[in-house]
Amino acid sequence: MAKVTTRISFIEGSLGVLLLALLVRAAQVQLLQGARWANEARQARTEHVVLEAPRGALLDRHGTPIALTQETYHVGIAPNELRDPDRDPAAIARVLHLPLMQVMSELDRHYAYFAGPFTAGTVQGLRDVRGVHLEPVLNRFYPSPDFARAIIGRVGDPGQKPSGLERTLDTLLAGTPGAAVVLKDRAGRQYDSPARRIQSPVPGNDVVLTLDAELQEIAQRSLRLALEKMDADGGDVVMLDPATGEVLAVASELRDGGARPSAFIDAYEPGSVAKIFTAGALIAGHRITLSDRVSGEGGKYKMLDRTLVDDHPLPSLNLADAIRVSSNIAMAKFVTRLDPDAEYGMLRDFGLGTPTGIEFPAEASGRLELPKTWSRPTPTSLAIGYEVSVTPLQIAAAYGAIANDGILLEPTLVREVRAPGGEILYRHEPEPVRRVVSPQVARELRQLLAGVVSSTGTGASAALATFTLAAKTGTARRVVKGHYQAGAYTASFAALFPAEHPQMVVVVKIDNPRKGSYFAAETAAPVTRAMLEQALASRTVALDRARLSAAAPAAGGGELEDDPGVAPYVVSWPPAADTAAPAPPRPVPDVSGRTLRDAVRLLHRRGFHVVIKGWGNVEKTWPAAGAQANAGSLVTVFGDTPQ
Amino acid sequence: MALKGRHWVMIWLLAFLVAAGSVVTRQNAALRIARALNQTRDSLSSLRSRRADLERRLRQAASRTVLVPRAQALGLRLPADSEIVILPVPDTSAP
Repeated sequence: MAKVTTRISFIEGSLGVLLLALLVRAAQVQLLQGARWANEARQARTEHVVLEAPRGALLDRHGTPIALTQETYHVGIAPNELRDPDRDPAAIARVLHLPLMQVMSELDRHYAYFAGPFTAGTVQGLRDVRGVHLEPVLNRFYPSPDFARAIIGRVGDPGQKPSGLERTLDTLLAGTPGAAVVLKDRAGRQYDSPARRIQSPVPGNDVVLTLDAELQEIAQRSLRLALEKMDADGGDVVMLDPATGEVLAVASELRDGGARPSAFIDAYEPGSVAKIFTAGALIAGHRITLSDRVSGEGGKYKMLDRTLVDDHPLPSLNLADAIRVSSNIAMAKFVTRLDPDAEYGMLRDFGLGTPTGIEFPAEASGRLELPKTWSRPTPTSLAIGYEVSVTPLQIAAAYGAIANDGILLEPTLVREVRAPGGEILYRHEPEPVRRVVSPQVARELRQLLAGVVSSTGTGASAALATFTLAAKTGTARRVVKGHYQAGAYTASFAALFPAEHPQMVVVVKIDNPRKGSYFAAETAAPVTRAMLEQALASRTVALDRARLSAAAPAAGGGELEDDPGVAPYVVSWPPAADTAAPAPPRPVPDVSGRTLRDAVRLLHRRGFHVVIKGWGNVEKTWPAAGAQANAGSLVTVFGDTPQ
Repeated sequence: MALKGRHWVMIWLLAFLVAAGSVVTRQNAALRIARALNQTRDSLSSLRSRRADLERRLRQAASRTVLVPRAQALGLRLPADSEIVILPVPDTSAP
């Protein structure tokens, strides 16, 4: 028995030792190494993922989407997980619109991967296919890919910098990524369980641009047709609201189809379009009266260093004639009354030689040399638009100053910035740069420009039958590799529409038109008229038709100078908001308790945009009922059953 | 009747099974709802994609590049500015 007792004691002792060892080990694992093992277990079962923030939308001034963010997918396929390896590849190829051979070739690998990206609609048919793994990724989507492409730019591939406005506005559009923890199994596959969010992604802000989709399309199409018809190298169109500095349309086209924002980044010699600035210096400096006349020299004027030629010679010319027929000879004679500093100062004040400050990367400043570096012919060259280079945008802004009673405004492409919830974070207000000339001088300059579009002016081909136009033509020789190229010209046309109370500045530039005439009067001017006619015929273009109806004289009316009924031009300051600006604020109606459908209908009728959160009946709105909100602004409707 | 040891074992075992069963049930329900949620998200994403595609097609179909040649083929043309009459807004401020 003693043996049995001894054995039992031995077993009990052994079990006791084992139990003690177990307890010691448990204490070691739980107490001493607990944190490390817990961390390892967490890492094995969970994964931190970055939740990409949706990029904000770019919209035109009327809310038409220009750039949106859309969820797309990369498709991964594990061949060994496919239920039917014989039939599935064909179905996958069909759904993804890929050649069957390509899919089969990829499936030979351990894991096939199709980067796409594929839209949610495309991959819908693959969601239930075993072995197919969809990897969601946010993608930038441009509903009209050609819409102001060079200006809007592109986000680019990961790691690459965005271009154009996508780059300038990146900090506003990008949003803040979030983070989450997901559960995964031993093989690393994520469970279908909801992720635990550490930080929710904050979507980017929406940016409402000043561009008008309809005008932009008119500009792009007109320019493209003109380039084809004239066999030109390229061209630009800029349309600007002179009262606010808002850019309404920018089209830049190259004959080869390339997209380059040349309206902002390529400078050229403007030629006669710049004559009006010298005229401004002469009038503002009281160096001339409108009755002063100079000889036209029979159309040919030999100077010490060059011979000037007029295409429309007159026996004698005053300043109005010089602008109307674009006389180089008269301007060369008139400019001798100016000292270089005055001439330089006026050109500088109109914004030549300095960037306009528009929200666009790498905007060109153009070229305007200081008077101390000028050579003897420089004052004459500047008076007729040579030895100075400008961008089409600078010309538009400078003509905008003439339209705006002499005040130069900073042009802009950004009208509003809206937070994801709809509240307006920023709204553009006109930003005056400086007063260039007095309202009286600006009025006289507009009258000079109106003469250009009269029946005897160089811009007659741009004249509209019902509405007056004030404009200037410019045909300048082109510089290629530092030298003027024979037979190559830049034709440009800058117009104020209408001549009284201008609502729009239009600048058209055609580079090197080869077919037909190269004169701006027969190239850029008709394009301007065609665009204005289309704009007038369009219902949605941002024109104040009430003001147009008041300004429009009866068809066949006389020239601006002969019209005794023209009222003095007055710009109130700060300028009145343009037609597309929001109407006065109005109260948000009380829709609480109504069905969502009723509430949305009512809010739409009151002119608000609506975003719905939750479902069921309406619990509240934001802004709250009774609060003042602008027409067109966003009202968020909260249902009583939250999302 | 006093509960014997094996009864307590049974009771504790039963309690454990009930607790474990409820955990499993709740987890299954959560996974089912998560799957439904994901499906709803997928549907939403798919519908948004469809809407974006329709908007793109609509914009393209309504663009001047498409409409103007069609209109011209039908013998229509853009009106000259003299053919556009803008009616003045009546002055409602007058007594």
